[in-house]
Amino acid sequence: MKCKVCKAKAVAALPSHNAAFCKEHFNSFFMKQIAQGIKRRNLLERDDKVLVALSGGKDSLGLMYALAELGYNVTGLHIDLGIFESSIKARSVVEDFCKSKGYPLRVVELEKEGVPIPLIKKHIRRPICAICGKFKRHYFNKVAIEEGNTALATGHNLDDEIARLFANTLRWDQGYLSDQGPVLPAENGFAKKVKPLFRVTEYESAIFSFLADIPYHHLPCPYSSGASFTGHKMLWRDMELRSPGTKRAFYKGFLDRGRPAFAALEKEEKDYEINPCTECGYPTSAGVCSICRLKRQMQESMEQEAAKGAE
Amino acid sequence: MVIVKIEPEGQTVEYTKLNTVLQLLNKQGLHHTDALVIRNGELLTQDEQIRQGDEIEIRKVVSVG
Repeated sequence: MKCKVCKAKAVAALPSHNAAFCKEHFNSFFMKQIAQGIKRRNLLERDDKVLVALSGGKDSLGLMYALAELGYNVTGLHIDLGIFESSIKARSVVEDFCKSKGYPLRVVELEKEGVPIPLIKKHIRRPICAICGKFKRHYFNKVAIEEGNTALATGHNLDDEIARLFANTLRWDQGYLSDQGPVLPAENGFAKKVKPLFRVTEYESAIFSFLADIPYHHLPCPYSSGASFTGHKMLWRDMELRSPGTKRAFYKGFLDRGRPAFAALEKEEKDYEINPCTECGYPTSAGVCSICRLKRQMQESMEQEAAKGAE
Repeated sequence: MVIVKIEPEGQTVEYTKLNTVLQLLNKQGLHHTDALVIRNGELLTQDEQIRQGDEIEIRKVVSVG
């Protein structure tokens, strides 16, 4: 197989773009996708101070590298979840990566915050992945705002966005369908959120990080089910195989024609207000934010356990 | 003999004979955009020949979630 641009030996074929590329031209293709996506959907300004959420996986590390290469002012943020060996490994991958590239890095340790994920899992009887996501988003927002960052970037790629959009569509979730997208403007005390990888697939993102010699962490979380193809992603994989380019078209069509319709509806019907949490000051529509409520539940569960132990 | 390591599962599979990357992917039930196929630190496209004695890594790209 030959590179579409220079006819040298190709290292990757992309059916959705009807193209194959050598290492050099894959890199230019990928960087162009990121730069054009940022520009066309107004994700970032040149002077934005961007906090990049780094898990240690291919998407987040590749994103940090791509944004730095494009000249953005980036700082990494890693949340150490405290999940034993898995978190130690992920953190060291992130720390080594930032050190070798000279990128500034901020680490939040959930252990030090009193909420390591294994402790939450023990005391809160709800699906741990959802709760873990809540805590990560909380600290992303908190650090972004408190430390003067103007944007928070995450490594969600086209496949992630499609899976989420599809789930929101199956439920016709008006609230989520009114604002899902690659950019969520700063409002109500939340920093602007951007997903600069929204135009590239998981496969393209993996190739990019591999070719850039980024030593990413590719082991799944010990608390996840371990299935590599999950529900909606599997459906979309098959759809894309039958008709390459469907994912991109579905997402683009949603941003151009679907979302504005839901946003208009939502504006008419919105019946809640965002105010600072009465306990921690974090923006919430619920009086006391969900993080403070979860912390309280944990505290109660731990006190009950201690009381039982004392009997 | 061709030795194939499959990540993230960490499994190793041996094949007595394999002709191409496409054949390997088919045997694993994978499409070429499901995984990186790596030999000696280089990415392979699906039309590449596989030789006796090759050590190959299949790194699946679909993350959980």
